Amino acid sequence: MEKGRERNRRGIRGWFDPTVPNNLERWAYFFQRLTGLGILAYVIGHIGDTSFFVGGPFGTGPNQSSWSFDLSITENVVGHLILIFVVLIVTFHGINGIRLILAELGIMVGKPSKIEYPYRPSSLRSVQRHIIWVAIVLAVLAAIWAGSILFG
Amino acid sequence: MGDKIMTERKIMMIQYVTGILSVFLVSVHLLYQGVIVPYEKAISFSQVLSLYRHIFYGSMLEILLVVILVHGFNGLRIILLELNQSQDWSKAVDIITVIATVVTIAYGTRTVILAVFGGVS
Repeated sequence: MEKGRERNRRGIRGWFDPTVPNNLERWAYFFQRLTGLGILAYVIGHIGDTSFFVGGPFGTGPNQSSWSFDLSITENVVGHLILIFVVLIVTFHGINGIRLILAELGIMVGKPSKIEYPYRPSSLRSVQRHIIWVAIVLAVLAAIWAGSILFG
Repeated sequence: MGDKIMTERKIMMIQYVTGILSVFLVSVHLLYQGVIVPYEKAISFSQVLSLYRHIFYGSMLEILLVVILVHGFNGLRIILLELNQSQDWSKAVDIITVIATVVTIAYGTRTVILAVFGGVS
């Protein structure tokens, strides 16, 4: 019991478990959490910054000068780089999230098979693993597209 | 214990449903920021105002706000619950994430309401 409790108390260190080599799913798990936290932080900031459309925390309605002030802070190279990064992590998080839901429902995880050397589970050879690469590639493409819109 | 597991199962289903909805709603939201509408125009005061006051898009923004915050804060809750399994910690995490969700949704909803019904200045 104590050992079990200890295992559950690895906390964030448990995200980086390097004990299983070539474990793409482990990295997808790690980045799903990391990108989720990043997106949540951005969303909270975005809700704060868009409130300047109505004059900020003490505003009473749509306010053009307050919105211009907000854009003067967010619409620059740094702001655009942050937006591109957000598109990158949102795309990865969304596609990988759909993969996780499919896995939860038992879809595309491969068929159970006899355990034989070198003990590779069928789930790590199925479409599930390919979807992680699809998520990475589409995230990069979406970020490039966002970059072309913002800097083009 | 059994009730707790059932509740967590339902919460996990909410996490999946809000996740799928978020993918759709965020995609539409992003498409309006530079693809369907040119980016420079999309962030202009008049365009933002017209979107807030459009019945479909304004409603979508409010739904997006609720869906993404429920998904986001529940995700944060899941991560925090994984870090420690004590009852006090779990209860504190539950309470704090619910309060954070409600407060953030309230602040975002205030922006939507003022944008739709407030006087322009």
